[in-house]
Parts: sequence; C-alpha cells; structure tokens
Amino acid sequence: MTERVDNGPGGAASSRDWSDGVAELEKRREFVRQMGGAEGVARQHSQGKLTVRERVALLADPGSFREFMGLMGHGVYEGAELVRLTPKASVDGFCRIDGRKVVISGGDFTVRGGSGGGAHGGLGMELASNRRALEWRVPYIRLLDAAGGSVRSFEEMGRTYLPDGNSFTAPDVQLLRAVPVVSAVLGSVAGLPAVNACMAHFNVMVKGTSQLFPGGPPVVKAALGYDVTKEELGGWEMHTSQSGVIDNLADSEQEALGMVRRFLSYLPSNVWEMAPRTEPCDDPGRREERLLGIIPTDRRRAYDGHKIIEDVADRDSFFEIAPAYGRARITGLARLNGYPVGVMANNPMFGASTDVAAGEKVMRLMQLCDTFHLPIVSFANEPGFMVGLDSERKGIERAGARMVIATCDSQMPWATIVVGQLYGVAGQCHHRPTGMFQRYAWPSASWGSMHIQGGAAAAYRREIEAAPDPEHRRAEIEARLEAIASPFRTAEATGQDIIDPRDTRPLLCEFVEEAQPVLRSQLGQTCVPYKP
Amino acid sequence: MTEQPGKTVAAPMAGSVHQILVSQGASIGRGDELVVLESMKMEIPVEAPVAGTVSQILVTVGQKVAEGDALMVIS
Repeated sequence: MTERVDNGPGGAASSRDWSDGVAELEKRREFVRQMGGAEGVARQHSQGKLTVRERVALLADPGSFREFMGLMGHGVYEGAELVRLTPKASVDGFCRIDGRKVVISGGDFTVRGGSGGGAHGGLGMELASNRRALEWRVPYIRLLDAAGGSVRSFEEMGRTYLPDGNSFTAPDVQLLRAVPVVSAVLGSVAGLPAVNACMAHFNVMVKGTSQLFPGGPPVVKAALGYDVTKEELGGWEMHTSQSGVIDNLADSEQEALGMVRRFLSYLPSNVWEMAPRTEPCDDPGRREERLLGIIPTDRRRAYDGHKIIEDVADRDSFFEIAPAYGRARITGLARLNGYPVGVMANNPMFGASTDVAAGEKVMRLMQLCDTFHLPIVSFANEPGFMVGLDSERKGIERAGARMVIATCDSQMPWATIVVGQLYGVAGQCHHRPTGMFQRYAWPSASWGSMHIQGGAAAAYRREIEAAPDPEHRRAEIEARLEAIASPFRTAEATGQDIIDPRDTRPLLCEFVEEAQPVLRSQLGQTCVPYKP
Repeated sequence: MTEQPGKTVAAPMAGSVHQILVSQGASIGRGDELVVLESMKMEIPVEAPVAGTVSQILVTVGQKVAEGDALMVIS
C-alpha cells in the first residue's frame, strides 16, 4: 500500500509511511505521562505520596509494565489539533511481579482527585482492568488513591445517575473466587474505592497518608453534626486495630508495595493452579531445642505464640496478616520445606481466647487457604470463646456458629498441633471431622469440653455445698479430676498421637508433602465462596 | 490521643495488675518484662517496647485496667 488519502489527525497526506501517526501517538503518550499536570504531581509529593506511575514502577518487575487503555482521557482541541489531553484518573496495565503476570489498576489522585467523573463510556469500550484479570486468570492489584464519585460529574453530565456501580463491580466479586486480589490504600479513599479496599484477599495501608471511609469528615459533619479529623475517622489506628478493615500497616508506600509482593509470593496465579513452591532453604528435619520449653510448665504463665511459628516454619518465611487486630489469634502465611501454608496460632499474650475479631481473622485465613489450595497448620492453645459483657455485645455466639460452619465447610488439608489447652466449642473449631485432617498433641496439652476449675464447682455444686468444709471438698474433687486429665489417658483410649515438640517441624514438613496430591485433586473453584 | 513525652506502655488486654517488676527511674532494655497482668486466668507479661528509663508508673498492683490503658511511660 503506497497511497493514502488521509493518515490521521495532524498527518501530512504526502508521507510515505505512518510515522506522522506514530508522532501523534507519542504526543498523546507524553500528555498521559504528565498525569494531572505538574501542580498536581507536586501536591502529591508534598503530601508524602508517590504518583501512580512511580508506584507502578516500584511494584512491577523492571520493564514489565504494559499499560492498557493508556490513551484514554479528555482531549482539548484547537481546530483539528490536540492541545491538551487529560488522562483518565487511573493507570491500568499488565506487569510481572517476581516473574508472574498480574493486572494493576492504580488510581491517579492528580486527575480530579482520582474520581471516575461519571465517564463510564458505552458500546465499544475496551475491557476494564478487573475483567482482564478475570479472563487472563492473573492476580489483580488495586493501588487505591481516589475520592470516589464527585458531584462535579453531575454538572458535567447535566443529570444525576442511579448508583448502579455494581454493574462495574460484579467482576470484582467473581475475582475473589478466581484469582488473588490485593488492595493497597495509598491515600484518602472514600466511596466505592473504600469498599474496594476490602474486596480483596489482603489489604494494606500506609501510616499517616492513608485513610478510608464511605464518607469523610465533611459528610460526617453534615450527617451527624460533629467534627472529626480524617485520621481519627479512618486512619491506621481505627482500621488496623479497632475495626479490622485493613489487615496490615506499612510505614511507607515502599513497604506497603513490598507487602503486596510478599503476600502474592505464597499464592498461585489463580485457583486452577498450584501455589508456587520455592527452593527449600531450611532443613525439613530441623528439630528446634527451644520447643521443648516453649510452653511454660507453670500453666498460668503466658508465652508468645509467634515463637512456636518461628521455630517450626522455614526460617524467616512467616508473613503475618492483621497483626494488630484480633490478637488472641496469630494468622498468616509461611512455608514448610518451601511449600506455602496458612498458619494460625492462639496467642496467650493476648488471652488466647478466640473473640469475634480473632474469629473473623481465622475464618478469612481458612477461606483464603481453601480458595487457593494451601494446607493449613494450626497451633492450638484455646481456652474457649472469649467470655464477658464485651464479648456478648459483639455477638460471640453468632460468630461461634459461623466459625463452626467455616471449619466444617473447609476442605484443605489441615494439621492441628495441640500445644496447650483445648476447651469448649472454640476448641472444637481446631478440629475437622472430614477430609485430610491430622492432629498431634504435645505433652503440655490439656483438654475437655469444659475447664475442670469452675466446671467442678458447677457439676458438683450440691455435694460441695453440703460438705462440712466446702472449699476443701471442691479442691478434693478438682484434684481427682485433674488426675484423669492427663493427655496420655486420652491417648490410651482414642489413639490420639502425642509427640515430642521437637519433632513438630519434621512431621509437618511430611504432612505438607503428603498434602500436595490432595490439593492437586481439589484445584478449581471451591463451593464455598471467599467472603472478605 | 494525648502526646506524652516518651513511649507509653499500654495494657495489651483487659485484666488486673498482678506484679510491677520495675521501679521508677530504672533503666531497662527493650523486651524486659515491666508488668505482669492477670487476665483469663493467665499471667501475661508486658515487655518494654523500647529501651530507656522508666519515667512514670501509672498503675498499682491489683488495679483493674482496660485494653489500651497506659501502664508506664518510658523516656
């Protein structure tokens, strides 16, 4: 083809090739690279935030970013010539993380505060980023820095619109059942972006620069009449320790993006694939001497549950999820002989009793492992569900029911090590009667459907009250019961295996190896969908 | 949140103060046990988040504390 009538805007009809069109492309790309303009970029930096393009460069393997819908925006023309192009308020594309393909969708706060502006397009629109992640079956990462809808868009459109955001969000729901989804909150986020922060398997925020709420301080003032700062309303203290809306806290954007990479490293690209095993860097037969004394022989003394995980998992492989929320349970991902596993442990430093917050964390971890076919390992020291007025107000029984259901509904290979107490219905939630389930106990274990202390006072109340010295009689009954509470008596009757604590790692490494064919047979979508 | 000079050591959970293991003015290392709380029939040690000097002790033995209550200030 040598002759053409027109080669596009700005092109000269005499050109022998398409270089003028390519120049036009480059001109538009240059506008897009400037994002919302120098002023907006400077403001972003002065607030201690990176621009969306800097974030993408930090997160992606070098040179791997392939932007899509990169020419989309609002053009201003003089005659036929483009004089300005304001890009859309997001940067979207494929990139690789540790060599594996993902989709990133990053909000651009320098363009209209990241607001979509109601420009939702119509027929002929290219596939949105969430749909691409779904169809390509690769992880989806949101870098959230957007204020949600803006009433300015009403003025631009000359009308209002029904809040039919679910038309665009439905793929995000499907994503949770298909590929790993991660949200990094990197600014003040309101409206749909705030909810999208939680439409994820993991989320993280940055201390001081990230806040999230359905409506910010001006909306609170209008609705409820009081003044509150962004930080008080939706900052890190609220969301990483009190509400549990955000899992992890980072001191910088760099650290937050590092956590995103780390989280994804344990998971497969989608639910139809096996999680990636890394080159084992630790001896699977390692027997850690410290485990012998890690549970204090004085049962009243608390210990830090993290120490057990450190000693058993591959060295430095533990990644804790939601460390400041529901601290009676530790949850996270780790590796055993290079294989990724979900890990949970009661933490006596925070009472060890599963409360509503700790229960939520545990249920999310179980669903995460089920969805992405990771085995789960639990170090149980469970005194029972949290008691007291506060626990009742939060609805511990309903939460308990949900835990029982989540436990029984799960199917991933599961190993429980009973390291200490195992009592009540919360104790029951460390056991699953179906599927590949293995339980070992340490000699430090003690269990029952209820505690002997307190339990004796209730069951033998009449006998104790009628005795000449009730206190003495109560102690006598308790001593009698304690004598039969040895875990070895249970082992005699039920076959429960009791192990030397130092053998825990070798046994669990074997378990995780044996779990691989079972996990392979479970690939695909689970019948119980992940609910964040 | 009121800003206090130094680092406040907060109660990790609700309970009562079982033991106070340091005195005012003592110099302490990071991870040293400062207080033992009693909660859920357990003795829960509270460790120093930073090294420094115990500048204030805000609780007494037997006192009930709520989660997040300040126990000590380290400067």
